[in-house]
Amino acid sequence: MARRSGFSAQTLSVLASLEPDPATWRHGYLLARETGLRSGTLYPILIRLAERGLVEACWEDGQPAGRPRRHLYRLSSEGLAAARAALAAQAPLKHPRSAAAGRAGRRRMAGEGA
Amino acid sequence: MDRFTRILAGLLGHCAGLLPAARRDWAEAVLAEAGEIPSGVARVAWLGGGLWLVTRGVLMRVMRVLAFAAGAAGVVWAGWPGSSSNSAVPLNRVYVVVSVVALAVLPAVVRRYYGLVRSGWGPLAARVGGYAMVLALIAAKAVKDRLGSKLGAYFAIVPGQWVLQIVLLLLIVGYVAGLLILTSQRRVQLARWTLPIVTGLGAVTGGVLYALEPFGATADPSSPSLQWWWLGVALPLVTGFLAARLSARDTRPAALGPVQQGALAASCALAAAALLLAALTSVTIALLPQHVPAQAPAANNGACQTCDPVRTVIPPGLRHEYQAEITIGQAGTLPMVSLLIAPFLGAWLGVLGGGLARRSFGASRRAAGGPDAISPPPPGHLMASDADREQVIGTLTAAFAQGRLTKEELDLRAGQAFAARTCAELAALTAGLPAGLTRTQPVRQPARAQPRQPADKAVAWCAWGLITPALFMAGNALIPGPTPANNEPAGKIISLIVVVYFITWLVIGAQMLGTWHQQRSRPGGGRHLAEPIPPAAGE
Repeated sequence: MARRSGFSAQTLSVLASLEPDPATWRHGYLLARETGLRSGTLYPILIRLAERGLVEACWEDGQPAGRPRRHLYRLSSEGLAAARAALAAQAPLKHPRSAAAGRAGRRRMAGEGA
Repeated sequence: MDRFTRILAGLLGHCAGLLPAARRDWAEAVLAEAGEIPSGVARVAWLGGGLWLVTRGVLMRVMRVLAFAAGAAGVVWAGWPGSSSNSAVPLNRVYVVVSVVALAVLPAVVRRYYGLVRSGWGPLAARVGGYAMVLALIAAKAVKDRLGSKLGAYFAIVPGQWVLQIVLLLLIVGYVAGLLILTSQRRVQLARWTLPIVTGLGAVTGGVLYALEPFGATADPSSPSLQWWWLGVALPLVTGFLAARLSARDTRPAALGPVQQGALAASCALAAAALLLAALTSVTIALLPQHVPAQAPAANNGACQTCDPVRTVIPPGLRHEYQAEITIGQAGTLPMVSLLIAPFLGAWLGVLGGGLARRSFGASRRAAGGPDAISPPPPGHLMASDADREQVIGTLTAAFAQGRLTKEELDLRAGQAFAARTCAELAALTAGLPAGLTRTQPVRQPARAQPRQPADKAVAWCAWGLITPALFMAGNALIPGPTPANNEPAGKIISLIVVVYFITWLVIGAQMLGTWHQQRSRPGGGRHLAEPIPPAAGE
């Protein structure tokens, strides 16, 4: 199933966490928490998606107080369509499991943070 | 731990500068985020991931540079040396210098206009393989030419040969540029599997022709690979047809039209075949010069074929050596000539193949998401196709992106669209949404909207071009004798007709290109701009 849409399971989890609210920009750490992926896995995926024009990336406007500027990501319109198609193809089988994996990942990251 | 984190962060910041500019942002993003991560193991792991990202990028870059340096050193080692009496040496040095410089500089130039190499192993393997092939070709050609003109005094290089060699060199550089552009991110848009399929077919053809005659075809008509000349015609026709056929499934807005895809794909296929054939043949001749079959007639009475045969006589002691050298020097000429014509022949016949596909499959292309399937709206009782469903989902997605639908509404309606059986059910889903939403399925101009499309004209022009070789072959077949076209009066008339026809054909083609260029530079004149969107079904 993962091959059918042309995306790996990890890429699908990134798409799944970007897809629900496509207008919002998200930063990498948020995505890492949501998907449970480590930075060494997440960023190559984001780079690939950005180079295929599926993800838009930009630096945060203005200098926020107390932290460096964030690099932000969201799906492009092409990416949104691709993500929806891939997730729809995945939905009947994979969704419950990947959602569980996502939750587990989030819990793990939260635990590390505590 | 804090100190370790700081060291890691410093290392990451420094190493990010080693990445190409387009990738630097990503490493800096990891660094910027690190501050928000709770310090301790999580932050170290985060920074470690970033460092891994940078290391991988830098290593890939270093490996590519080292591999190219090794290849370039090999070419210089093989192509540069030679005694000053060898007539091939000056040309070899020009080849070595120009090719190494061009191959080193071209990626940077292409990157500037077309972006980095596409991600995935396919484009990278194509680049590495293409570079290896071109470097091997240049090195082997240099060795072969040197072996073939040791008796430099008897191998005068006439100015015409210099011109031909420089054109060939520029064309090889053009092959490399084409390879780099086609494997870049902002490449010309071909359907997804077109390039691997057609270059694969081209490579197989080149391999077959090489296997038939590893030392290259001779001008002798009974030569085995000349019996397979039709492969060179069939390959572009088939790949052009195939590419146009594959383009029917490609609905991205930037994609080229089917005939253009056919032309480009066939050109690539034939170019790949020619490059592989020329590289393999040259390497074989350079490695096994003593096994090259004799192609030139024996030097009777010491006549010099490569200098003035009347005045210059080869001394008896050198005749055997001269014969061997002329054999090596002339071997592999046809594969080299095929390099010169392959891209153009491919594009020409590819247009014909693409036109053929468009003619025979136009109907199915329209059904597979073409605009004719959308406007006029299909009658409600018709059973819906997958293309209809995708179109409706595209409209819904666009409506959601604009905030016209909520997430729940979108999910619900998309689910209903998947389940819809008839067009009426589909129409109900987009009812109430405005016309003119940006659909994710792009719209191509209807094939019949204009009385005569540029693509049709191109196909017709390419078809008329078939008359030139037909006339030429007819002339050769009708008039007996070894060189009929030059000696007989009838032959002269036919060759005159062929030349006049060919020039007229070229002029018409140039005029056609000029007209297209004017249309394209006018705003809104381009064929592939986003079209106004027809009203959604049901409105």
